[in-house]
Amino acid sequence: MTTDVPETDVTVTAAPEESSDAVAMAERLAEAGRARRASDRTRKIIAYVILTLFVVIAIGPAFYLISPAFRDSVSLFTYPPEWIPSEPTLENYRFLFSSTSYVRWAVNTLIFAGSTTLLTLATNTMAGYAFARLRFPGRNVLFFVILATLMVPVAAVLAPTYLTVNTIGDWPIIGNWIDIDTYLGLILPSAVSPLGVFMMRQFIETLPDGLYEAARLDGASEWRIFTKIVLPLIKPALVVLGIFVFMLTWASYLWPLVAATDNEFRVLTVGIASLKGQFVTDWGILAAASLLTIVPVTIVFLFFQKWFVQASMAGALKQ
Amino acid sequence: MTAVEAPVQEAVADDWAAPSLSDAEYRWRARRYRFRTVRRAAGFLSPYLLIWSVFLAIPAVWGVFLSFNQGGLIKGDERVFVGFDNWTRAVGDSELRTAVKNTSIYVVIAIAVVFTLAIFLASLLNHYKKGSNFFKVALYFPLLAPPILGALMWFFMVNFDFGILNLLKRSVFGGDGVAFLGDNPHALLTIVAVEVWRGLGFWVLFYLAGLQSVPEELQAAARIDGAGKWRRFRRITVPTLRPLLLFALVIAVIFNFQLFDSVKVLTDGGPRLGTATVVWFIHKRLFAFQDTGLAYAASIGLLIVVLILTGLSFWALGKRRQREA
Repeated sequence: MTTDVPETDVTVTAAPEESSDAVAMAERLAEAGRARRASDRTRKIIAYVILTLFVVIAIGPAFYLISPAFRDSVSLFTYPPEWIPSEPTLENYRFLFSSTSYVRWAVNTLIFAGSTTLLTLATNTMAGYAFARLRFPGRNVLFFVILATLMVPVAAVLAPTYLTVNTIGDWPIIGNWIDIDTYLGLILPSAVSPLGVFMMRQFIETLPDGLYEAARLDGASEWRIFTKIVLPLIKPALVVLGIFVFMLTWASYLWPLVAATDNEFRVLTVGIASLKGQFVTDWGILAAASLLTIVPVTIVFLFFQKWFVQASMAGALKQ
Repeated sequence: MTAVEAPVQEAVADDWAAPSLSDAEYRWRARRYRFRTVRRAAGFLSPYLLIWSVFLAIPAVWGVFLSFNQGGLIKGDERVFVGFDNWTRAVGDSELRTAVKNTSIYVVIAIAVVFTLAIFLASLLNHYKKGSNFFKVALYFPLLAPPILGALMWFFMVNFDFGILNLLKRSVFGGDGVAFLGDNPHALLTIVAVEVWRGLGFWVLFYLAGLQSVPEELQAAARIDGAGKWRRFRRITVPTLRPLLLFALVIAVIFNFQLFDSVKVLTDGGPRLGTATVVWFIHKRLFAFQDTGLAYAASIGLLIVVLILTGLSFWALGKRRQREA
């Protein structure tokens, strides 16, 4: 970050003053008009240089992992630095697959994020439908209470949630399924955010009333209206919410850190972070694991970037 | 809503209002109708409400009770009721104070830097539209990786021996490298840099959306009236963005106040508590199983702060809606 700060200052102060002068002059003198075009061009070049600089900063760190991932960690410390490894090796990857549980973590991450997403979509859409379309006593109060929990941090309820899951774990039968170090113990507390309920309520409220009236005249039940009419119409909203929840869940760290201590249930974020502790000096393996995790997400992102960007904005703007 | 009422009114017309109904029967039918609406809503609401109450609402209330207790997080450790002891000690605890101080410094610097850069880059992208899609996608990239992985990438960048920042520093300025994560003001500033790097793309897109909502005609009219670029920015863009800015500020504070992932993986609170944050403190106290009472109190402190800020954010959003309407 230290490199870009001076750049910023220069343009912020330079841009406004030259323009207010230039605009006035340009209307009178052709010469000034040419000057303005020249200064416009300079400004344009500066703007694109700055933007490019920020792009380099944004994606550079990922590229900085490539070289360490394919070389022996010891060779990292040679000076002057050797950017392209003289003896590229896949040793780090061999170690990652044979001596760590990377594959297990990846599978767990898919199970964890996938189930959380499906569960969230199902429950939130149904609840959103109820708040948008049904009338029942206490509706506004209930909605307000749920609304209040929108931003409750994981950390603020970490201890009682941990205790809740632990307590349920002691109960007969259900305790085999919901406990610390179980999938459901990991998933259920991650599927509580009411964001989707609001998103879906907003979205369903915009659907025209005529749809419902026609279906109801035909004698369709509420459930049938929901599954046959509403669900097909809100597909775009479901995709956006689904991507948003999936991205948020697989990236989460704090709850998986305390709820899945057993290696059998560990997810990628916790697993890779534990590589750093376990192999303090083994930079190669750390780089290999990080790179291997980022590459598939990046490919998916490049294919579906429009949806991703929409999903990230959904969290902030569509409430 | 009208859709739900319509059939009911029909029912009133040709059934309930019939003179043959006695008062008792009328009441019974009204109750039956209410029961049916509740049952129908409950069918749709119960899956979410069950998960929400068991894993969020009840724990939140339980947490308030826990803040007056000590221990009890693992089996074999009995929970003890201690009254206001945790709360009085929390105020004086030096580690918690350091954590609150660090978190506040972090929040102020990180938000100031990321908002300035984001508004600046967003106005560039709003003005120079050619290729803006590429820049948006590229700037968004850091958000794809989990915070943990973003932090680990920077772990390589700031390494003392082979990190590119130190290689540059040595070749440009000479001398020895900078211990980005090992020295005290540096460590927290490095965390700030990592989080700014990660959040910048989001805020650029956020402000770009805001800038694009400024009506084109307004800008054109001002230009014809001879308003300079800076004047148009001050008088048109800023007033339009202001309600958005307040909302953005509140949610940025809420999110940044929970700084944990990058601290945990990069410095684990060190050196000498230089990067200790509130959530780091809560996690450490809880799962080192020592003096958990302080963590219980700190959790509720965090909860209260966030609830107040949430209220503020809705107020800001409501104001924005009003202005739009």
